[in-house]
Amino acid sequence: MLRYATKQLINMLLTLFAVSFLVFILNEWAPGDVASKLLGPYATQDQVDKLNEAMGLNRSVLIRYFEYMGNALTGDLGQSLVYRQPVADVLADRLGATLKLAMISFAVIVPLSVVLGVLAGMRESSLADRAISLFSYVTASIPEFAMAVFLIAIFVVGLGALPGTSPMRADSGWPIWSQYVMPVMVVTFYDAGYLISMIRSSMVDVMRQPYIRTAALKGMSFTQVVGKHALRNALITPFTVIMLQLNYLVSGLVVVETIFAYPGFGRLMLEAALAKDIAVVEAGALIAVAVTMLTQLFGDLGYMRLDPRIRV
Amino acid sequence: MADKLHPVIERAGREMADGQMGRRDFLRIATLLGVSASTAYGMAGLSAPALAQGAPKMGGTVRLGMRVQDISSPHTYSWIEASNCARQTIEYLTETGIDNITRPNLIEKWEASPDLKSWTLHVRKDVTWRKGRKFTADDVVWNLTRVLDPKTGSSVVGLLKGFILDEYETGEKDDKGVAKKSTRLWDASAIQKIDDFTVKMTGKVPNLAIPESLFHYPLHICDPEEGGKFGVGANGTGAFEIVEHEVGKRTLCVARKSGYWGKGPFLDRFEVIDLGDDAAAQISALASKQVDMIYQGAIATLPTVERLPHVQVNSVVGGYTAVARVHSIKPFDDKRVRQALRHSLDTEALLKGAHAGLGSPGEHHHVAPTHPEYANIGFMKRDVAKAKALLAEAGYPNGIDTEIVCRPSPDWELRAVNIMVEQWKEAGIRVKINVMPSTQYWDNWTKVPFGFTTWAHRPLGIMVLGLAYRSGASWNESRWSNPEFDKLLAEAEGYLDVEKRRAVTAKMEQIMLDDGPAVIPLWRAIFNYTDKKIKGYKIHPSVYIEAREMWIEA
Repeated sequence: MLRYATKQLINMLLTLFAVSFLVFILNEWAPGDVASKLLGPYATQDQVDKLNEAMGLNRSVLIRYFEYMGNALTGDLGQSLVYRQPVADVLADRLGATLKLAMISFAVIVPLSVVLGVLAGMRESSLADRAISLFSYVTASIPEFAMAVFLIAIFVVGLGALPGTSPMRADSGWPIWSQYVMPVMVVTFYDAGYLISMIRSSMVDVMRQPYIRTAALKGMSFTQVVGKHALRNALITPFTVIMLQLNYLVSGLVVVETIFAYPGFGRLMLEAALAKDIAVVEAGALIAVAVTMLTQLFGDLGYMRLDPRIRV
Repeated sequence: MADKLHPVIERAGREMADGQMGRRDFLRIATLLGVSASTAYGMAGLSAPALAQGAPKMGGTVRLGMRVQDISSPHTYSWIEASNCARQTIEYLTETGIDNITRPNLIEKWEASPDLKSWTLHVRKDVTWRKGRKFTADDVVWNLTRVLDPKTGSSVVGLLKGFILDEYETGEKDDKGVAKKSTRLWDASAIQKIDDFTVKMTGKVPNLAIPESLFHYPLHICDPEEGGKFGVGANGTGAFEIVEHEVGKRTLCVARKSGYWGKGPFLDRFEVIDLGDDAAAQISALASKQVDMIYQGAIATLPTVERLPHVQVNSVVGGYTAVARVHSIKPFDDKRVRQALRHSLDTEALLKGAHAGLGSPGEHHHVAPTHPEYANIGFMKRDVAKAKALLAEAGYPNGIDTEIVCRPSPDWELRAVNIMVEQWKEAGIRVKINVMPSTQYWDNWTKVPFGFTTWAHRPLGIMVLGLAYRSGASWNESRWSNPEFDKLLAEAEGYLDVEKRRAVTAKMEQIMLDDGPAVIPLWRAIFNYTDKKIKGYKIHPSVYIEAREMWIEA
């Protein structure tokens, strides 16, 4: 197991290097000149040249890439063009905000999906199963932006019960906790629908197994059968999928963060990419890739512990 | 009026009396030449616009939803949003109002020499910096010199280059061996301190628009002791102190406790909150009263906002537009084809469909009805039959196929292109739409053969014509060249009084309809949203936002 983990970590480092190089090169090819963007439409060529020189942008892309990586390895992620702050500071702040949102969402989504998925799957074709399945199909098929607009129309514009944006400031007229409700609600509806159907179908499969019938026949109550025999086995397959949700929650919340003006990582990355803020894009891409690969690794390791049939 | 009137004003006054010059035009000329706005309004027999909406109340906060950008270097701002964060603290020498009239601000008046080459600025004597020092001519000289220094990198250089700077070769060469150029003041005494409260600017050519240029948004007057840097705690002459600023999040200004020279401030706090670029977030924040105003509205959000009972829509029409223009290459090398592009459009329908009717229909020459020298040469109605006939005459009886390049945002631009394409189709002009991301568009905007480009409001029509249609001008995106037009343009630039300029402008407008490269669908109104509790605010054509004039009425 240790060997497997080490191998995966080395794999991850190589991938990170490849990604960092690709991002740098692709950004170089993307349209738009940083200096003229910073100086605006009235700038003379002389001013553009001076700024390019001052920022070292007139040197070849390879030199700049190795300089960037050299600095990054010593912990200096560079300076953000847009924020005029060290990239590490900008990222730490935004990543922290996104992690908070992700954790709250995760804490709502996982128990909700497990409970509903198991309830639906333990008695296939029951009324509860049909109702829960219908709910999960509908919510999973509505994209986040449509869901957000729909919920805003009801709770913000219609009822006036919740704040429409989440700048996470106590002095915006709404308590902080209330500013989490709308984004978490949108993420939950969108994401839980998918997880519920995953868990449900896994549960349905398990409930059809002979050992479940045997357990029932030897006189165990239905609750005991579900709790002792079905649950653990039914959760093995969805476990990896649940781990993958972490990945989505950290780097995939762009839409939700933008709609609710939430100062998070996804929105930061989108804006940095549009502004060609290369230092932020690079660091952000590396973080996103690392998160993906780490959740995958933890997913694999956890899977092995849950399912004794799998050994490395 | 104890002071002697400037000769141009005397002439303008006579022309106004004869009915040759409109009162608005007289106002603009007179105030630009140093007559105070209230005096000028009196001379023109108009009453000054009433801004007051009852007596101002003290206290309260206004929260503005707008992007919060880096504001550390005022003289190099290239976004109005940045200047709106800073202008509450650091002010301008002059101020062009919502009525297009420029008034003194940190200077109490100005005088122009009869040849309009030298401008004497009289600095207000009652202004103190927040940190206690008196505001003097030295502060003005330092700021003017700094923005005109190429090392600073301010866009004021581009604006005043023709007036006060000389271009020279630095002696260095770039990679391609072309000599590098830079700029410097044309004369050592171009910006001169006369005494503690008087500054003189002397240019090499006449320039009527100096007071307007002094209100160019990066020309903030900063404290020289801070070296052109700005941020939390920075000194300023303005009505507010900036106490918090976080890029991408918010800016907080609190009212200066004492010693502000002007009227106001009435608010205790002015706050800017960054809601990102998403229009839906702006509307949600407004609906749940998390902000009290939105910097600029979008056509897509207008119907929703109109249903919010506590929100008011403010709008103003200026010279903002976007232009569909062609290079003179096949099939557009024939002017009849270019004419057909114009004749096949119904600009009134375009205004309704693309911009919710906010603004006025375009007339296919780039002089807006709000420009002082605008000449009404008749509205071009849609005539599909004529367009078809022109195409046939030019040798395209079956119509033409081509492609237009445009941007996806702001949303109205793509809508306008879609409607134009539908209208062109009926005349046999079949156009494919190529939507390019904005950044990519700005790399190619002068290179694409057929493109749709946004143009900002400028106070004078001839400024736009000079920038966009003069042969060889760097922003001449259509590469159009018409010697007669160039001649007329130079002539118009030499006239100070509007009527003479208008007569020449009428000829230029006609040339643009006949030979020009451009289709102008509409003049769009700029609009934004405010909570009805905000009083004392009117939208500026350039969306400059001054908190010192606002107050809250619950």
